[in-house]
Amino acid sequence: MTKLLEVTNITAGYGDGPAIIDGAHLTVEPGKVHCIIGPNGAGKSTLLKAICGMLSIRKGDVVFKGERLNGLRPDQILRKGICFVPQERALFAKMTVRENLRMGGFILDDKKELERRIEGILERFPILRERADQHAGTMSGGQQQTLAMARTLIIKPDIVMLDEPSLGLAPKVVQEMFDIMKMMSAEGVTVLLVEQNALMGLKNADWGVVLDLGRTLFEGPAATVLADPRIQELYLGGKKAA
Amino acid sequence: MAEILQILILGLALGGVIALMGSGLSLVFGVMRIVNLAHPALIIGGAYITYLAFKAFDIDPIAMLPVAAVTMAAVGVVLYRLLFQREARSAKYSEMTVLLTFALAMMVEGLLGSLFTNTQRVTSPDYATAAFFIGDVFIPKGQLYAGLVSLAIIAALSLFLKYSRLGYAIRATTQNREAAELLGVNVQFISVLAFAIGIGLAGAAGSLVSFVFSFFPAKHWEWIAMLMSVVVLGGMGSILGTVVGALILSVVAAFVGTWIGATWSTLTFFLALFIILLVRPQGLFGEKPEMA
Repeated sequence: MTKLLEVTNITAGYGDGPAIIDGAHLTVEPGKVHCIIGPNGAGKSTLLKAICGMLSIRKGDVVFKGERLNGLRPDQILRKGICFVPQERALFAKMTVRENLRMGGFILDDKKELERRIEGILERFPILRERADQHAGTMSGGQQQTLAMARTLIIKPDIVMLDEPSLGLAPKVVQEMFDIMKMMSAEGVTVLLVEQNALMGLKNADWGVVLDLGRTLFEGPAATVLADPRIQELYLGGKKAA
Repeated sequence: MAEILQILILGLALGGVIALMGSGLSLVFGVMRIVNLAHPALIIGGAYITYLAFKAFDIDPIAMLPVAAVTMAAVGVVLYRLLFQREARSAKYSEMTVLLTFALAMMVEGLLGSLFTNTQRVTSPDYATAAFFIGDVFIPKGQLYAGLVSLAIIAALSLFLKYSRLGYAIRATTQNREAAELLGVNVQFISVLAFAIGIGLAGAAGSLVSFVFSFFPAKHWEWIAMLMSVVVLGGMGSILGTVVGALILSVVAAFVGTWIGATWSTLTFFLALFIILLVRPQGLFGEKPEMA
């Protein structure tokens, strides 16, 4: 199996506090959608934050394209090609949609190329063109999430990590978010997704990872994870398999 | 009518200078959540640099403005690295900076006091005591120049923040530090830069203040209350709000000073601070604070 990103037995937590993840591992293949599931407090978001450099890794390794990422800052990890959209969407509420997209390409030095890519995004997401001069903070939750996800595409990253993209959204809008995610994947962007709606997440993923109490319990093809009766019972709200 | 126009002009000219004095304070709070109580003490530092150059070499205070700004910006870099950088991620950062900058203000005051004594100083270029006359209305040249230069500096700052790449990064960091970092902004560098700009603005304001007000090291205690009122009225972190707040309060203080009594004009700022905090704590252009 080709490895784009490999997380090996990492330990991480907030500040000097206790470790939230301890012994988490993960293998990410290029071009696929990976979904991390687990109960509240399992350490799913913490794992993504540790990968993108928001939390320091106390033990273990994060290796991307053969390069160790431990100790790098988030801006340095982004430049390597890993983009992270946290639960709060990380938008600039008092900036317009266009300015938010410009910030999405902050690491690009070529201003003309940046404007060209922004135009490309506005072309693909008509709702964003419609709202281009509107402050991001005044848009609906779904529109904000669309902006947050579309913004990642400006720098053409290798991996986009999405933390609970469906949080607080209406079911119809949730499906739109998964459609955008699939579009990303079809374009060759690898997606690493944390999703509370485990069933929906796994149905839209190629690979599933089960995390609990800060440790990886299982990882494998999403279909296998979905079919596993123990996982169904414990994490998917299903009945115990006979 | 002429009297009202006169008061309005004086208030607006002074408001421009106060806006510049407060803009650095607001920028530093907006980007780094540092409540810099030492800001006016650093303005006085800039005023003394200008005063020394004026006394020793007869250099015009406005010509000294870039030198005072750059010198104080360099001081800002050193102060940030020494005092603030290590604790930048602390949950109680803003609260800590209140105590830290209070101590810094005392130290700056002590240092300036030992160097220059507590004698009142003022630079006196020719224009400081001259005026333009339009009919019955006079416009003091010193206040007019200081006000116009202040507004020009703030306009340049606004254009920089609005259109430059670094300006985008500063605005982004002001609005959402974590998001800015996730989009590739080196927030540590931006914090140092913004602090240096903020203290540089204090230096620039010091040059202008040197011929508009008389000053001595302990004067900053009087100014911090005035500047906090202006910044809180405008909305902490909003440069536009600081300008609007400064112009409003200066004009109101000018009317109070003329019609009720000079001693009451300072009260305008304190009264405004109380009222804003009670009625609209986020100020005119600030964000509404989250409820616990």
